[in-house]
Formats: sequence, structure tokens, C-alpha cells
Amino acid sequence: MSKRIFRGIFLVSLVTILITLIFIITALTRYFDSQLEVELRSQAKYISAAVEEEGMTYFDRFSEGGAADSRVTWIAGDGTVLYDSIGDEASMENHIKREEVQEAIQSGTGEAVRYSRTLSEKTVYYATLLSDGSVLRLSSEQRGMLVILLGLLSPIIAIVLIAAAIAAFLSRAISKNIVKPINEIDLDKPYTADKYEELSPLLRKINNQNELIKEQMEELTRKQREFSLITENMNEGLLIIDSNAEVLSYNSAVKRMFDIKDESGVKNALMINRSSEFIDVIQKALDGRHSEHEMEYNGGYLLLIASPVMHDLKTDGAIIIMLDITEKQMRDELRRSFTSNVSHELKTPLTTIYGVADMLRSGLVKQEDIPRFANDIYAESGRMITLINDIIKLSKLDEESGLQEEKIRVDMYAVAKMTIKRLESAAAKKNVKLTTKGNLGTSYVWGVESMLEDVVYNLCDNSIKYNKENGSVEIEVSNSDGMVHVSVSDTGIGVPKNDMERIFERFYRVDKSHSRNIGGTGLGLSIVKHVVNYHEGSIDIESEEGKGTKITVSFAEA
Amino acid sequence: MRKEFDEQLERLNTEMIKMGSYCEYAIGSAMKALFENDTEAVKEVEEYEREINQKEREIESMCLKLLLKQQPVAHDLRTVSSALRMIADLERVGDQSEDIAEITKFVDVSKLKGKTHIKEMSDEAINMLTKSVDSFVKKDVELAKYVILRDDVVDNLFNEIKEELITCIAENKDGGEAYLDLFMVAKYLERIGDHATNIAEWVIFSVTGKHIEEGNLK
Repeated sequence: MSKRIFRGIFLVSLVTILITLIFIITALTRYFDSQLEVELRSQAKYISAAVEEEGMTYFDRFSEGGAADSRVTWIAGDGTVLYDSIGDEASMENHIKREEVQEAIQSGTGEAVRYSRTLSEKTVYYATLLSDGSVLRLSSEQRGMLVILLGLLSPIIAIVLIAAAIAAFLSRAISKNIVKPINEIDLDKPYTADKYEELSPLLRKINNQNELIKEQMEELTRKQREFSLITENMNEGLLIIDSNAEVLSYNSAVKRMFDIKDESGVKNALMINRSSEFIDVIQKALDGRHSEHEMEYNGGYLLLIASPVMHDLKTDGAIIIMLDITEKQMRDELRRSFTSNVSHELKTPLTTIYGVADMLRSGLVKQEDIPRFANDIYAESGRMITLINDIIKLSKLDEESGLQEEKIRVDMYAVAKMTIKRLESAAAKKNVKLTTKGNLGTSYVWGVESMLEDVVYNLCDNSIKYNKENGSVEIEVSNSDGMVHVSVSDTGIGVPKNDMERIFERFYRVDKSHSRNIGGTGLGLSIVKHVVNYHEGSIDIESEEGKGTKITVSFAEA
Repeated sequence: MRKEFDEQLERLNTEMIKMGSYCEYAIGSAMKALFENDTEAVKEVEEYEREINQKEREIESMCLKLLLKQQPVAHDLRTVSSALRMIADLERVGDQSEDIAEITKFVDVSKLKGKTHIKEMSDEAINMLTKSVDSFVKKDVELAKYVILRDDVVDNLFNEIKEELITCIAENKDGGEAYLDLFMVAKYLERIGDHATNIAEWVIFSVTGKHIEEGNLK
């Protein structure tokens, strides 16, 4: 801007200088011309008067004295040159045709201007008619304007240069001065600059827009904060990609799920994961289709839900939501295996009952065998009932909300004593010695009595079932650190190390081939675990194969 | 112009990841076919192998176009040229997976007597391949070095399996052919380990611009 202003001003000054120069020169030339004419006229008057009086003799004197600086020619009425102050009269041609002579003969005086061939000089002629009919002509040579200019060239150039330099200097200073306040405008506070009135609408507009931008920025940051607050705090992974599958944004859940450490390394979605399910889901979403897929990752399960982001019927990108469904998947698996186990466990006794009943019906059984068969039916249905009871207990425990039993203060030692009574006959059959250790009225627990009984019962029942002949089972009820411990130790077959983790699973049996002889449903320890969890207690198991097992359950003291 | 170039490089990267992923699946399925005698898995391997070959062609023409039209220099040039070499290795991995799958049609591992370390070896080879593709994805030189070092483990396992198979053949004279097939599988796995090493070396070259020497891995 300052440059433009400078250029403008400078140009104007230059043009002014040149025009002035031209005008002055023209005016000067005119002035010189008129001056010359006046001079010639007065000289002519003077010389003509002299010639009238003295005739040729004047010229003789004239040429000697050389009084006039003009060329003087005396021409006779017929055009013959009588005298010329410069040239040789005899050799000169007849002048009757000359413009100024003609004019003088006709009107008394005549004037003419003739330019030399090169135009560099011009000659001004002035002629007067004398009384005897002859003509006196005066002429003076004058240099042309160009010649004058050429003569004056160096001073003119010097003047123009100096003027131009001054003009340049001034123009620069002025333009700088004009631009300075504009440069000094503080765009953040445009109102403070009030030097130019013409700028105030612009500044006002800038001010308004500044405020608008500020507001919008605040709004945007607020929204962004909101968005990131939401996405960062959600458990679901959220991944946003553009149409080239480049990652635009993702939340910390994604980082957690895929164990992303180096964030700069995540440019493309495929850098997060490259399993076929992941690629597939992204491809489908970018093709404009919604899709869902489960994928295995890091030993867990993820559910990927991808939706395309459409804009004008074109896919601009996609949003992928990832849900950790490991737990759900595990539960589903558990439920599936539970169902199949239950059906299997129920089917076995039923098949026996059905077979025996069929034999009885068709009369194939001898009279003396009937009690044995009846006993089979009785035993198998008993098994079924126990199993169904266990399942009912478990399913009640599964739905914690379904538990309506009231919690009371329970003496665990009393529970142990009672349980032993119920199991005495079973123990006697195997010749297992049952003992209890502890004191009445010392170990109280806050809980549901029937459920706690189940715990002790199942533990003892296992200890007897998996015991050796003449073995022993000891139930010890003790208190320490505000906890009540009930430990059941036996001299049984023990639990192999590999199976320790799994014995609490439903229907899990260490020795699958002999379990039917021993009886039991395979749900006992599962019930124990559930009840203990329900009472917020803990289970501890120590076991050595072939030597025995000690299972301790602990509850908070009431 | 530059933007287009960057986009093309990015696309190249994506396609490479996909191809690597296919290779992982191919070898995974081949091993499934071997250990679980799963004929479906054999078909899967063939499917993956076709995909891998197609990807190789695609990536190759993509690289050539990049070289011709964009004339990349320095790091970009290394990226493109290493990609060209890497796809060759990946393609070989696909072929070898198919070869293994082919063999599994005639061998039932579960019926073979004698214990071998073939499972360990396949796990190790798959791990190497996965890690080498990972190192490419993350441009992780350290991980690439890890892969290169890991090759010794596979080589040692190969020798071990060789010894084991010799014993097996000596003990079971009738089933010699099956053991030889298993030996071929081991050889293919060993080759896959080598290809994974190559890929890791190319990763190092494309990132650092230097070829890694066996000696200065540490």
C-alpha cells in the first residue's frame, strides 16, 4: 500500500515537473519571437528612414560601421537586389517572388518566417516599402526550439533530477505517513484506532467478527470438552474414521481395548487391528452399510458395531463402536454348557427308570426281582430329586434379587453340629469318623441359616464321599481377626493341582469315570461358592493328592 | 500433487497391512488344518493364498506407479522399494502355508506316535510373522530386531524336530512317509521364520535407511 501511494505521488510530481518545463519553454520561445519582431520593426523603421534620405551611401557607411546585427537587404522595385549586408548583390537572384517582398509591395510592410532545411534554425523576415518603390528587408536568424532545448539539456536534466529526487523523498515520507496509522491498528481492539474515519465501518465489522469468533470458539471448545468428556468416560470404544479409513478420533476405551501405547503410530484404522473381522466391518461401513461383528481379541470378545457417516449419498467416513462382551460371552457359554449338562444329568437316571419301568410293565421281571428293580427306580428318582433341588438352589442364587430369605445371626458351630447329625449315617457306611472342634455361642455370622447349612453340608458330604475307608473328617469352627472360619479337613483322595481352579464349576468332576458310583450331582461346590459369595465371604483350599483336602470358608463375624 | 502422493503412500501402507493380515490367517489356518485335521481349514488356506497373490499384484502395480509418476526420494523411496521386497516375502509365506495345507491332507498328526516340537515351532513361526507385520505397521525398529533374533529359536526347534523325527522313523518303520511329511512341514515353518526375518530387515531398512547386520542387533 505504501509503495502504491509512493508510486502515485511520485508519478504525479514527475508529470507536473515535465509539463511545467514544456509550458515554460513554449512560452519562452513565443516571447523571444515577438521580441525579435519588435526589434526588427524598429530597426527597419530606422534604416528605411536613413535609406530614404541617403540612398546607397548609407549602406556604404552601414557596412563599414556594422551597426545592425540583422541582415539588411535592399531590393529594387523589380526585385533586383541592390544591396545585401552579408551576401554579394550581383550573384543574388531576383527577390520579387519572395513572400515578404510581395506583401510589402502590396501593403507597405511584409513579414515571413522560413525554416532552414534542418529545422534547427528559422529566419524571420521583415520588409518595408520605401517611397521610391524599392523594398528594404531585414532578416534575423533565430535558433529553433529544439536547438534551444538541446543547448539547455544539461541544466534541464540536472533540474529534473533534483526535482525528482526531492519528489521521491517527499512521496516516500508522505506515503509512509499515510500508511503508518493503518499499520498500527490493533486488530484485536480495532476501536482504539480512530485516525481515519473512512476505516471505521471496516473496523466496526472486524470488531463484530472478533466477538463472533470468540463466542463461537468458546462454544466449540465447550462442545469439544463435552464430547471428549462423554467419550472418555464411556466404557465402549469409539473410533471415528474418514473415507480412507484414516483415524480421526478415538477414545481411551479403544486405547485400553487394543493396548495402544504409541498414539502417534495410529494413523490408519488398520494400524489398530488387522483381523479379518475388523477389516470387514470397516470395509462394509465405508461401503455405506451398517454392520455388526464379534471378534476375538486378547483372549476376550469384542462386539464391533460400525455405521457409515453419510453426506449427500456419499460415505464420508464411519463410526465404529466397540463393546467388550467377554463377560456376556462367558456367561452365555456357561449357560449353554449348564443347560446341556443339566439335560444330560437328568437324562441318565430317567433312562434307567424308563428302562426298568418298561421291563416291569411287560412282565419280564421275575417276582423275586421286583424289589431290586423297585429299589433302582427309587434310587434313581432320589438322585433326580437331589439334582433338581440343587439346580433350584443354584438358580435361586443366580438371581440374587430372588432371594427373599431374611438374614439372622447364626452360630456356625451349631450349624456344624447339626450337619454332622444329618451325615452320620452316610459316614458310618464308609466308616469315616466325624469330629467337630470349636465352642458353642462364640462364632456368629450374619446370614441365611439354611444356606449356611448347605455350605457346611456340601463340604462335609464331599469330604465323606471322597474319603478312604476308615478315614476321618474334622470340622473346625474358629474366630480370628473379626472373621469366622469354618474349615473342613479330610483324609481323602485330595484334589489334583490342575483341577483346583475348576472344582467350583458346575458339574465339574475331577474323576469323571467313577463319579456315578460315588453319587452326588457335581453342583455341591458350586453352591458353596455361590453362597459364600452371597455372604461376601471367601474360600480357601489346600489339598494334596492322596493325603487329603482342607477347605476353609470365612465370613465376617457378627 | 504432494497430497495425492501422501494419500497413495497411505493406501500402500493399508494394503500392506491387509496382505500381512491375510498371511497371518493363512498360516494360522494351515496349522489348524494340521493339528485339528480340519478340511475346511485347508480350503480357507487356499482362499487366503489366492487373496495374497492378488494383493501382491495390486501392491506391485501400486508401487511401480508410485515410482514412475511421483519419483519419490529418500525415506519415501525406501518405503516403496522395501514394500516391493516385502510383498515377495509375504507371498512366499502364503505359498508355504498352502504347501503345508496340502500336506495335511495326507497326515493325521493325532494318530502319529512319538512326541515332537512341531506345535511349539508353528507357534513360534506364527509369532514371528505376527511380530514382523506388527513392526511394519508400527514402524517399530526394536520389534523388528526382536523378530530377527527370534529366528534362532525357530532354527533350533527345526534341528530338534529333525532329531525327533529320525528317532520316530527308526521306531515306526511303517509310518515313515507321514514323518517325512511332517519334516516337510517343519522345513516350511523354518522358511516362514526366514521370511518373517526378511520382512523385519526390510522394516529396519525402510525406517533407518541402513541394512542391519546380524552382528549389531543389540
